[in-house]
Amino acid sequence: MIDVVNLCKDYTLKRKEPGLKGAFKGLVNPGIEKIHAVADLSFHIDAGEIVGFIGPNGAGKSTTIKMMSGILTPSSGSVLINGADITKHRKEVVRNIGVVFGQRTQLNWDLRLGESFELLKHIYQIDQKDYDRTIDELDSILGIKEIINQPVRQMSLGQRVKGDLVASMLHSPKVLFLDEPTIGLDVSSKYALRKFIKEINKLRQTTVILTTHDLGDIQELCERLIIINHGVMMEDGNLSEIVDRIAPYKTLVVEFYDEKAPEANFCEMIEHSGNIAKYKFMKKDTTAADIIADLSKRQTIKDVSIEEAGIDDIIKIAYGH
Amino acid sequence: MKKAFKELGHYLDVTIQVIKMAFLTIVEYPANIAGWMISNPIQFIVGFATIKFVVESFGEINGWNYGQLAFLYGLSVMSHALSMIFFVQGWFMGYFVLEGDFDRYLTRPMSVLYQFFFTNINIFGITDLIPGILVFVYGCIKCAVQVTPFFVLQVLVMLIGATLIRGGIYIFLGSTSFYTKSTTDFGMYTQEIMDKTTLYPISMYPESLQFILTYLIPIGWVSFYPVSSLLGIENSVLNGMVVPFVTLLVGLLVITLSGLFFKAGLKKYESAGN
Repeated sequence: MIDVVNLCKDYTLKRKEPGLKGAFKGLVNPGIEKIHAVADLSFHIDAGEIVGFIGPNGAGKSTTIKMMSGILTPSSGSVLINGADITKHRKEVVRNIGVVFGQRTQLNWDLRLGESFELLKHIYQIDQKDYDRTIDELDSILGIKEIINQPVRQMSLGQRVKGDLVASMLHSPKVLFLDEPTIGLDVSSKYALRKFIKEINKLRQTTVILTTHDLGDIQELCERLIIINHGVMMEDGNLSEIVDRIAPYKTLVVEFYDEKAPEANFCEMIEHSGNIAKYKFMKKDTTAADIIADLSKRQTIKDVSIEEAGIDDIIKIAYGH
Repeated sequence: MKKAFKELGHYLDVTIQVIKMAFLTIVEYPANIAGWMISNPIQFIVGFATIKFVVESFGEINGWNYGQLAFLYGLSVMSHALSMIFFVQGWFMGYFVLEGDFDRYLTRPMSVLYQFFFTNINIFGITDLIPGILVFVYGCIKCAVQVTPFFVLQVLVMLIGATLIRGGIYIFLGSTSFYTKSTTDFGMYTQEIMDKTTLYPISMYPESLQFILTYLIPIGWVSFYPVSSLLGIENSVLNGMVVPFVTLLVGLLVITLSGLFFKAGLKKYESAGN
């Protein structure tokens, strides 16, 4: 479906020295620095996948997704969608993609939402029957008909993002790119958006590629993660495999009846305050049940809970490299 | 060939839709149109009144009498109005470049430049067209012009050419933002320069300036040369009935070159960070 081959993007940055002297120096002899925003990225995405791109700010996620959707021209390398190079055949290839960038809108601010859809209908040459069917289908997932007659400028952010999602799906693209789609949304809008992504992926086999900083998005949506930092791929693989590999431990939180917390086999006490102690253990060494059994021989336990190594730990570790 | 026609049909279809939307926007903000309706015509009528005063005081400007100046002025304002309708967005290209607003055009299956201009089509420009037509008709009457079908064709052809020259210049200036990464608002300067060089005969300027306006920045072809031809006023560069068609050629050349410059710039487009 999508092949990214040795993708690179360089920016040139003029190094500026402080003060007036520096400014003049820069005029005569600009210290030009080449920055590799994305360096030699290669991967393949199959039809129907939901792939999450994560990485810290400035890691090159947005640059990558913008090259994949035809917005930026790669410095070298190529992006093939259905075998066609998006840089060389932009107009044909973009018919297969939809794009939603969280902080941008492609809707006409001044007019009712339906007018923006109408324009897209003409731009993508969608015939009326397909258009009506798509609107009905998307309405059943997102409830778009309630707001279709509302001017976009009067919409809340959540409504506007809904509008943008529908706009990006009107021409039934095979690939949907989402750049931080949940940014700034409240809980119920986030929920609706995630449900929408899951539904269109299931119903239409739409391939979804998203960047996000929201751990909930990743946990709920992505089976596959691509972690990027400094423009270089750090990880690419199945979410649970990455979790198992990078963070092969869990943490058991135990509350005792008094302040004495005993040690137990195959685990390490990492925190102890008051009646509560935390034990970190490797999944391959032991199980939580064994540790609880072990501890309860030495002390009376009031309550227990288990903390999974979450996606945030993964990210912390991956970014730390 | 068939494919080209189909594509043309697609663009026409979208154009009709964006014009519909432009009218809907006007209905949405009726106060705006009222403001433009008043201020734009006044601007040009006052400008024309100034010429009238000058001509009445001095007799003529560089051999051009009052009627001929009205003819020139009217046609120039008309091509200005047309360029305001279709190409005014070029003045603001820098903002689009820096704020990453080309993203949405790049992800749609149509020409980026077409979308940039036509999805922002400025129907308000019509308010400039009205004083242009009035002054032009007045000039025609004063000069006792014979309105033949060929004359009408010449006027239409030169208007298209002149609009393309103006549009090409806006595109060229706007596209520099891709390279400089700064938003210079060229609108004001362009308008000033265009007004000073198209509303009056450029033969009143020094020869070096005339040379620049003929060959380097071909503004002379927007109004001075074609209007001289239409009125049968001799100039030192090109005379005859062919001149309005040359204007069209110059227009096509300018807009093609600007389009290529834009396309090369678009490759340097950096969007905008989140």
